[in-house]
Amino acid sequence: MNKLYALTKIQIKDFMSKYSQQLNMKSKLLSKLIIILPLLIFLPAYEIIKQVYVSFAAIGMPELTLTYVYVAATILIFITAIPLVISLFFYSKDLSLIATLPVKEDTIIFSKIAAIYVYLLGMALLLFGTSVGFYGLYDGLKPVELLLGILGIVLTPVMPMIFATLVVIPFMTFIGGRKNRNLMVIVGNVLLIVIILGIQVLFTRVQMDPASLQNYFSSSDGIIALVGHKFPPSVWLTKMITKSWLDMLYYILLNLGFIVLLKLTAKHLYKGAMLKYNQQTSQGNINKKGKVSYKSSSKRALLIKRHLGIIVHNPTFLLNTVMTMFVPILLFGIYSLMGLMTLDTFKDPMFKPYAIYIFTGIISAPVLMGSLSTTVITREGKTFWETRVLPISINENLLTRILSTFIASFGASLILAIATFWIFPLGLIDILLSIAFALTATLCFSTLDLIINIARPFLNWSNPTAAVKNNLNVMISFLPRLAFGLVGFVLFKLLPSVGGQFVIAVFSVILIIGFIASYALVFGRYRMKFINMDI
Amino acid sequence: MLQVKGISKVYSNDKKAVDGLNLDIKEGEIFGFIGPNGAGKTTTLKMITGIIAPTEGEILLGGHSIKTDAVEAKKNFTFVPDHPEIYDAIKGIDYLNFMSDMYDVNKEDRKMRIEKYTKAFQIDDALTQPVNSYSHGMRQKLLICGALIPNPSIFILDEPHVGLDPHSNKILKDLMKEHCANGGTVLFSSHVLEVVENLCDRVAIIHKGKLIALGTPEEIKQERSISLEDIFLEMTKDE
Repeated sequence: MNKLYALTKIQIKDFMSKYSQQLNMKSKLLSKLIIILPLLIFLPAYEIIKQVYVSFAAIGMPELTLTYVYVAATILIFITAIPLVISLFFYSKDLSLIATLPVKEDTIIFSKIAAIYVYLLGMALLLFGTSVGFYGLYDGLKPVELLLGILGIVLTPVMPMIFATLVVIPFMTFIGGRKNRNLMVIVGNVLLIVIILGIQVLFTRVQMDPASLQNYFSSSDGIIALVGHKFPPSVWLTKMITKSWLDMLYYILLNLGFIVLLKLTAKHLYKGAMLKYNQQTSQGNINKKGKVSYKSSSKRALLIKRHLGIIVHNPTFLLNTVMTMFVPILLFGIYSLMGLMTLDTFKDPMFKPYAIYIFTGIISAPVLMGSLSTTVITREGKTFWETRVLPISINENLLTRILSTFIASFGASLILAIATFWIFPLGLIDILLSIAFALTATLCFSTLDLIINIARPFLNWSNPTAAVKNNLNVMISFLPRLAFGLVGFVLFKLLPSVGGQFVIAVFSVILIIGFIASYALVFGRYRMKFINMDI
Repeated sequence: MLQVKGISKVYSNDKKAVDGLNLDIKEGEIFGFIGPNGAGKTTTLKMITGIIAPTEGEILLGGHSIKTDAVEAKKNFTFVPDHPEIYDAIKGIDYLNFMSDMYDVNKEDRKMRIEKYTKAFQIDDALTQPVNSYSHGMRQKLLICGALIPNPSIFILDEPHVGLDPHSNKILKDLMKEHCANGGTVLFSSHVLEVVENLCDRVAIIHKGKLIALGTPEEIKQERSISLEDIFLEMTKDE
């Protein structure tokens, strides 16, 4: 037990320390405060849960809030658990160290699970905990219900977390023996998106059918039966909190069952997957004969290829880049599946005056959402020294970073333009102006974002997610975008009658000015900062 | 103390990284494991320490099989890998306490040994700093300290001299000798033939996964009447 505790403690400590360190906050006070940043994400969840509670309380069934939110929390915890399991079981630097320690296989599995549990418990607390809070406090204190609710919160992550572990580890074993582990990151994340979309469709279809909803509402156990039919634990938990001891027994036994199942399979999971992955790492030393090319290239082309290669060859960077750049397409997919939007929506005459703005927004999304230059130095990590020692000028070093972002972002903009121009009622001039806007926006932000990365380089990251996601630079990069957005909005309001083409053209000129100013800053003041950057 | 019985490792591409290796390392012995790059040294050490499983053969540590009685076998050794990759967001002292907990080192011994080894390697002042602020050499020293604190029966190190300054190398060599003088066993791989020649009681030379020489440095040299370096170069050159 002591070893399980020690192993769990060090992993949680490492996880929490990494989180605050990877945000790249120099001030200790700020770095502590930033830990609560994710809480802000859950503020909308609080509002939604409140709405759900008020609605169900109005029909005299406030306990349905528990059922509804529990199902949602379980799904979200399951989805969150998948990348966490992958990261902690397969991408962790401690795998070789742990393999040599005198601890049983189930201790290793449970210590890793415990570290994941702590993270997911926070999620359960914020989601399901909020609904328990509403149920137990909103219409007067219900102490027993609150205590049972706390038990429910503590148990909420157990089942989805273990289920995710039991699904992911064998899948990784399957992948591990065939291809390299990086494939799993992409496959796994794509799978997650499909699951999220599926859930969206499932839930919205129920919501969009008022007649059947009416039927469910007409009986006292209607909604519980509806949800419980597909997911009985939600019924057991709801009834447990409303003091049904038999359902409490069912629910606790179910969670215990999952824990026992994990214990029984721990040895097999460890040997099958984790050892196999250690072996795959060892295998990397074996020389593979391939075609040797002696083709020469220009230094500029090589540097751009290097910067783009860092994205392409790292599945986390690649996935993050692709996902953020194609957000509009993804959103459209979700909305289409939810039935909120169809292609015909854009053909509506009411839409016509705004079509150029929407199209411009869609094709500019790669640079607006991508912020690739804010991490162009950071992504290099510990290999940053290489460009420092190469016989290239500082200006060339900086320029190729801007160009690599430009190629990736504007390339994606063109793909989006080709994929979506036919959807909108646009003329040739509209399309060309939108592309010109995307071009100037890409030039402007590719350069401007580099200033952020020079000012705040973060090279000592231990996993790629830290470099591109948890990095505060990405969040900072949204501030200038917000400022430019405000300028655009003011322009739109000040010139209501001039039409979209004129507004977009003027805005493009503003972005060119932004580009020139950023360019002067990068190759002036920030050039020296880049030279003096500590590595 | 450590018996390796006919172990082989075949990877999925049918390459035999280690081929029928036999070793019997005795208590109180400093055993050097040498070979050119890609010879199978690290693979062998990884199999001995349970990081990867052998395709065939058996490994016994203190009489316990690493395959069938892994926990008991692992209680007999600590391992220092060639790449000092550990939990790096924590403080140095957290790592040493973690290793102490893992090997059930009591509070008195832990305090005494942490002070002794960290002072010897001159990292005692850095213990309250996060590991990711350490240099490569400092991390290596921290790992060595972490591996020595449990006072293991077998102290296994993969290329321990890489990345260490001369002072720390001297300290490490002295600690290896002290460990063996106290009844412990040391197994390490190295490229530094001079260290192997002067420090080891016995040496094994491995090439392309196969054991090609085994004995004391003197025995190996006497057989051929040339230096260990020349023997190494001669034996490991490609046909």
